[in-house]
Amino acid sequence: MKLLKIAAAAATGLALLAGTAQADDKPVVGLIMKSLANEFFQNMMAGAQAHEEKRGDYKLLAVGMQNETDFESQINAVENFITQGVDAIVVAPADSRAMVRPLKKAMEAGIVVVNFDVALDTEAKKQQNVELAFVGPDNRGGAKLAGDALGKKLGAGGKVVIIEGNPGADNANERRLGFEASVAEFELDLLDSRTAHWETEEANSVFSNMLTAHPDIQGVMAANDSMAIGVVKALESAGRDDIVVVGFDNIPAVGPMISDGRMLATVDQFGTDMAANSIDLALEVVKGGPQLEGWVKTPIELVTAN
Amino acid sequence: MAAASLAAVPDPAEIPAFLSVDGLKKHFGGVKALDGVSFSLLKGEVHALVGENGAGKSTLIKILSGVFPYDSGSISLAGEDYRPANPHVAKELGVQVVHQEFNLLDHLSIAENISVERMPTTRFGLLDKQEMNRRARLALDAIGLTDVDVKAPVSSLGIAHRQLVEISRALQCKSQILILDEPTATLTERETKRLFDIIASIKAEGVTVVFVSHHLDEVFAICDRVTVFRNGVSIGTDRISDTTPDGVVQKMVGRQLAATTNEADPDRVPGELALRLDEFCTQANPKEKGVSFDLSYGEIVGIAGLVGAGRTEILRGIFGVDPIRSGRILQAGNEVRFNGPRDAIAAGIGFVTEDRKDEGLILDMPIAANISLANMGAVSRSGLLQFSEENRRSRDGGARLKLKYGRISDAVSSLSGGNQQKVVLAKWLARNPKVLLLDEPTRGVDVGAKAEIYAILKELAREGVALLVVSSEMPELMTLADRILVLAEHEIQGELTRPEFSEENILKLAYGQARQAGGQKQ
Amino acid sequence: MTTQTLSETMPKPTRFSVRNVLQNAGIGLALLALILFFSVFTEHFLTPNNITNILTQITINLVLAVGMTFVILIGGIDLSVGSVMAFAAVVAGKAITLPGFGPAEAIALAIVAATLTGVACGMINGVISAYWALPSFIITLGMLNIARGAALQVSDAQTIYSFPYAFEEFGSAMIYGVPVVFLVALFLVLVAWFVLNFTVFGRLLYGIGNNEEAVRLAGHSVYWYKVAAFTICGFTAGIAAIVYMARLNISSPIAGIGFELNAIAAVIIGGTSLSGGRGSVIGTLLGAFIIGVLANGLILIGLSDFMRQMITGVVIIVAVVLDYYRAKYTSK
Repeated sequence: MKLLKIAAAAATGLALLAGTAQADDKPVVGLIMKSLANEFFQNMMAGAQAHEEKRGDYKLLAVGMQNETDFESQINAVENFITQGVDAIVVAPADSRAMVRPLKKAMEAGIVVVNFDVALDTEAKKQQNVELAFVGPDNRGGAKLAGDALGKKLGAGGKVVIIEGNPGADNANERRLGFEASVAEFELDLLDSRTAHWETEEANSVFSNMLTAHPDIQGVMAANDSMAIGVVKALESAGRDDIVVVGFDNIPAVGPMISDGRMLATVDQFGTDMAANSIDLALEVVKGGPQLEGWVKTPIELVTAN
Repeated sequence: MAAASLAAVPDPAEIPAFLSVDGLKKHFGGVKALDGVSFSLLKGEVHALVGENGAGKSTLIKILSGVFPYDSGSISLAGEDYRPANPHVAKELGVQVVHQEFNLLDHLSIAENISVERMPTTRFGLLDKQEMNRRARLALDAIGLTDVDVKAPVSSLGIAHRQLVEISRALQCKSQILILDEPTATLTERETKRLFDIIASIKAEGVTVVFVSHHLDEVFAICDRVTVFRNGVSIGTDRISDTTPDGVVQKMVGRQLAATTNEADPDRVPGELALRLDEFCTQANPKEKGVSFDLSYGEIVGIAGLVGAGRTEILRGIFGVDPIRSGRILQAGNEVRFNGPRDAIAAGIGFVTEDRKDEGLILDMPIAANISLANMGAVSRSGLLQFSEENRRSRDGGARLKLKYGRISDAVSSLSGGNQQKVVLAKWLARNPKVLLLDEPTRGVDVGAKAEIYAILKELAREGVALLVVSSEMPELMTLADRILVLAEHEIQGELTRPEFSEENILKLAYGQARQAGGQKQ
Repeated sequence: MTTQTLSETMPKPTRFSVRNVLQNAGIGLALLALILFFSVFTEHFLTPNNITNILTQITINLVLAVGMTFVILIGGIDLSVGSVMAFAAVVAGKAITLPGFGPAEAIALAIVAATLTGVACGMINGVISAYWALPSFIITLGMLNIARGAALQVSDAQTIYSFPYAFEEFGSAMIYGVPVVFLVALFLVLVAWFVLNFTVFGRLLYGIGNNEEAVRLAGHSVYWYKVAAFTICGFTAGIAAIVYMARLNISSPIAGIGFELNAIAAVIIGGTSLSGGRGSVIGTLLGAFIIGVLANGLILIGLSDFMRQMITGVVIIVAVVLDYYRAKYTSK
């Protein structure tokens, strides 16, 4: 399986190099992903590749990135796709502003562009005079689902902290705003809010220190599950089982934690299907369907023990 | 500019003392580096500063050039109180120093190096390369280096030429006083002569030259007056015409030195063959033919030649440092092949390298650690250091060489040059080598320590050690060696036995070939 | 030459010398000042729980910094330790979750896998940079990418989880409030201290850092000593991976990003010279403490993330500048 995947990646790489995207009559979709070091996108990529095989009526060219902030290689990828004359570009932008201009160029070249995962900045779109729909989960809404679950459990006045994602990242911002909306709605007491850069070890250290500073913490909202794991470990070493943790992403590693109650809830945004769904939408348009408009929300779901 | 301020001074010849130093003292922590130095410089004289290492010459130069402030005493320059806050101020006032260690930037061109302190710029603030090259040309021409391309990188020059580039750099900034700190330490005789010509022409222009040297013959060849230092105190100034080398040495060491004899050492009888080199040719040797010679136990063989003649390369080749292209080394009749210093050391060979700072010593480490560096096995048990054993052996080794030090755990860098060199010797003697290779064994070593090192080497020969000595100082070879091989262009030009020893004979052989080859390229 | 009177002599600490003690005391004083500051200005800093937290939190950095000390002492640098740690953790994670092993075997397998992975990466760094005499900066920068890529490849970018319970136990075990993983790190510090100060190997590492040529000409194989230093650094990255896994019970292929810089900072704050030849692993211990105490204390004091980052940067610079003056002062 893995070997196949490597072979597929190598093949797409070769295809990119040779610029022979138009080899047959099938429509060609260029998929631009974020960092494949992130298992969320890695899974999404695998989902897209499985989808290509299943449908069989299009050709997928996929490009990943070195890290979360490497938007330059995304811009290069867009330009390469324009040169190769793909039919559609499906993109998860690394930067909601920087990607607007190159995508505008693609649209002017007659390529169907679908923006998923993270929405392009509304202001920037207006400035560049770009009309582009967004296909993706509601990060803020999803975070609010998790936050609300925590709020319901703790009730008004519950003391909580937030573990944020990378400062400046759009999904990190959206999730924080979602958590904060829950804090407001349930009249929770937000004691502290800090970044742990999406990372387990750092979340473990940062949360241990927050717990020392505020021993009366009752609930933790972590912007992703990797950080939630670090929080759970910190609680275990501190011997605290009275603190409620919610996360985001529903990665496999948190499954056991949710079923045995170490975590209250996480949010599934069905990442594996997200790219595949966006490709479906893009192909609809390529085949002459109506242009997408506004925000096409993809499903999100709160995951709890029962 | 210095030139302007000095234009106001009347005819320099009428000024009795152009620069005068009175009762100068400088302490570093508790150490007295200068403890009462008084002397004066006359306009347009060549003035020698001599003294053993550690006598205070370098500190004095650093004070004059603005590197250190002084604690007490006074200095006046052209009648004004002289107290430069930094080297830049000193240069502005016309005091230039050419240091012993070069301050050249290897990868920049000669022209860039010469102009590095004040780069010429165009109207737009860009580097004016033409002007820079022009100035460099002038500066080099002024000292007779007309055949050197100013655009060539400094790294392409040999040591001698680098020295001359330093001097030309110092001279192009209108110097009033030019201080040369051991300028001949790395020069061959011929290059030294060229330097002396330059000094004479500088002097003729009214510049005062301060000449620091360990070579009294040089001092007596070009200097007008000499000031002797000992232990941070100036002992006195003499006119060269009123004194003799022996008199100066007596002042320097505070005692009389036994004259070096030209007689063969009667106790030294060459024994069995130690090493035979057979058409021995290292990678560095551009010639087809290698060198062949024998070295016996109990014998000291000297290798003379100009810098670049391939002397060091032979030693490095024998020791397994540089790869060998062809030829053989035979030890006690059997061919040996050393894949590295480790093999050579195992075969009983030691190598006192030319450059003790770069190759011989670990300056920041204790004396004891340096002495045991090549002999770790004797001071450790299964990889663990035995400190008391190490200290005992190091003290013994130091005592054998009359090493002067504070504590055996002091860093080697705290020792004077002569004592540092003794540490290098002690390191190799700790292994009781059968063959000892020495490259410039007394470079930068003062007169007293030099004599002690000679005595040690002779003693080693009497004990049956085979010594192979490379040196640029002919008196050194003539004092030490039983035979002298003269090398030029990687070939042995001839061999001199004791009765044939003379500087003239050595030079004839050393230059014969070089002149034909048409240059003194490195 | 009179320079003998003012040379910047920092003799190698063969044993305890007054100067050596003074040097470490300087860092110790800085650490003490930080501890005092946070004790006064925060409520919870000097509580047993918080001290336990700090010890836990500095453990990984300390383990990496011990290995880094060896490499920096010979004048090298290892930028790959963070990635190598992740790679080792992922390989060990794969090993520990292999079906068909009892908990004890699985743990033993994981420990062997992690250390072997670390040792192999370190050895490659050492062999390449020593054999071709290339700057270790660039070789280990290459290894940083190789190991990170390998970690992602082996794990398929997935977090590996569900380790044996006993492993988890070890990660959170305490002896009188001192985390066992920290004791492991402390043990490494002591071993390193002994090796550097009392063995021929350690002596020659200092020698190589000061004057490689002199050591080579004294008949020692500089090549193997360099390879050994890098291998030790890789080994500690493997140990750090085990600590990471035990503490968090996962193996993440994106673990340890930027850890190399923290390790280097600990070594340099601890007074080891970046150009090699001077320094001590005891200083590294104190340097790791300074970084850890700072990270912990600034959160307790309630400083924002961005201010925290800035202050950490300032402290690193101040520590090195202070070290410059300390070296100058103690050498007189």
